[in-house]
Amino acid sequence: MRSLEYAFRQGGASLWRSRGSSAFAVFAIALALIVLGALLLVTWNAEQLLARWSDAAEFSVYLRDDATSDQRGAVETAIDQSGIAAGREYVSKAEALTRFRREFAELSGLTSGFDENPFPASIEVRVRPGGGHDDAENLVKRLVGMPGVADARYDRDWLTRVGAGLGTIRAAGLGLALLMAVAAAVTVATVVRLGLRARRQELEIMELVGAPLAFIRGPFVAEGFLQGGIGALLAIASLWVGFLVAMTWWGSDLNSLLAGGSVQFLPIRLCLYLILGGMLVGSAGGLVAAREAA
Amino acid sequence: MIETHHLSKVYSRGLYALRDLTLTIEKAEFVFLTGPSGAGKSTFLRLLLLQERPSEGEVFVNGQNLATLNRREIQEYRRGIGFIFQDFKLIPSRTVLENISFVPEVLGVPAAQQRRRAFQVLKWVGLQHRMNAYPHDLSGGEQQRIAIARALVNDPVLVIADEPTGNLDPDLSLEIMNLLREINAGGTTVLVATHDRELIRLVGRRTITLEQGKVVEVA
Repeated sequence: MRSLEYAFRQGGASLWRSRGSSAFAVFAIALALIVLGALLLVTWNAEQLLARWSDAAEFSVYLRDDATSDQRGAVETAIDQSGIAAGREYVSKAEALTRFRREFAELSGLTSGFDENPFPASIEVRVRPGGGHDDAENLVKRLVGMPGVADARYDRDWLTRVGAGLGTIRAAGLGLALLMAVAAAVTVATVVRLGLRARRQELEIMELVGAPLAFIRGPFVAEGFLQGGIGALLAIASLWVGFLVAMTWWGSDLNSLLAGGSVQFLPIRLCLYLILGGMLVGSAGGLVAAREAA
Repeated sequence: MIETHHLSKVYSRGLYALRDLTLTIEKAEFVFLTGPSGAGKSTFLRLLLLQERPSEGEVFVNGQNLATLNRREIQEYRRGIGFIFQDFKLIPSRTVLENISFVPEVLGVPAAQQRRRAFQVLKWVGLQHRMNAYPHDLSGGEQQRIAIARALVNDPVLVIADEPTGNLDPDLSLEIMNLLREINAGGTTVLVATHDRELIRLVGRRTITLEQGKVVEVA
């Protein structure tokens, strides 16, 4: 406990003494975490949107024109008994035609030339939020094979593709942030090493009097830890300001893009992870330098 | 207290700093180690402080073979040794009292106890009135007395001094030697490396003379 108290007291004093060069290390860590934080901000909001879309998933079961009411009833019973449907709605052929004409008004002329209504009747099913998507896919496969059913569509491929795209962006961003974190750790190590050289005599005396390793190396690790913590706080403050500015300028556009949702700043949990990450990067740099001390 | 058996230290290109050194220093003894520059005095002290390892032979201090000590044991061993250097090695950014309390501080002694012990030894060397001064405000003699106080703050069983009067005039040198004699009178073993023959004559204690890494005289 005394070594910890000593490490932070000496580390803090060293940080203050070398505040000019320490600012470089703090800035390097802040820059790495701003990149990582901005990336998390975008991907986290995109994931929230994807989750909302996933929760609002629907599928349609198209009935053959000659399907009997018994066959339709069997299909509806299968849907109800599956346990994954939050609700269902029967859309008759006439309703389907009316919807098309309403939603695609400019194409409505196309439908006037038909002798018969080409749109099939269907049952639209809303998947229960949190309902298993595998279960929904299995149900759709089962429904396709039932009498009176022409087809069933549960197209989640695009959601999967967007999810995979987000994963790729996140992985690339993490890679970049990792590189920047390594560069930041090297900067911290260099700055801490400068302080170490200035205290060479103190270190020599500490070694000669048999000071424990925690007392010799601790202050340098603590200095890196503090630089990392300050850098992380600076990064979060910068991200917050950037977020406010972006929301002031493009807030309504972004919110409308999210279809009823709103763009959110990083949750506290992710902010704490960023601070912890900054402290870890700083400590790692401090430890590399401290190994020169003894 | 200190025993060496066929102790040698070889540097690169086969240069012997110490060659086949076998000697004994008893507990509570005051011993001078003398000889010309390059005789191996400082090398011997560095081996005692475990700043270097012997090339051949063994060193025993208080019955402990220094070659067998691990890192933690080396730290423990060094806590029983006080050291004094020619260039004082005081920390310029710390006051006199802080320079002394620095030792118990980095050994994890509680703050109040650090200051009490530091003040006691400072009073013993007669510089309590300079406790808030910085090293650059002190004379050479005062700085060396602070270094002695720092060496004593941890109640060592052995005090090692490497040319402690090298930067001081004869009167101050004798004053420092008197302090070391007082320390020795309290039962602490004192080993002083010096090339000052006149000082050795004035103090009059057992003297081991080295030349080219070998013991050439014990008087």
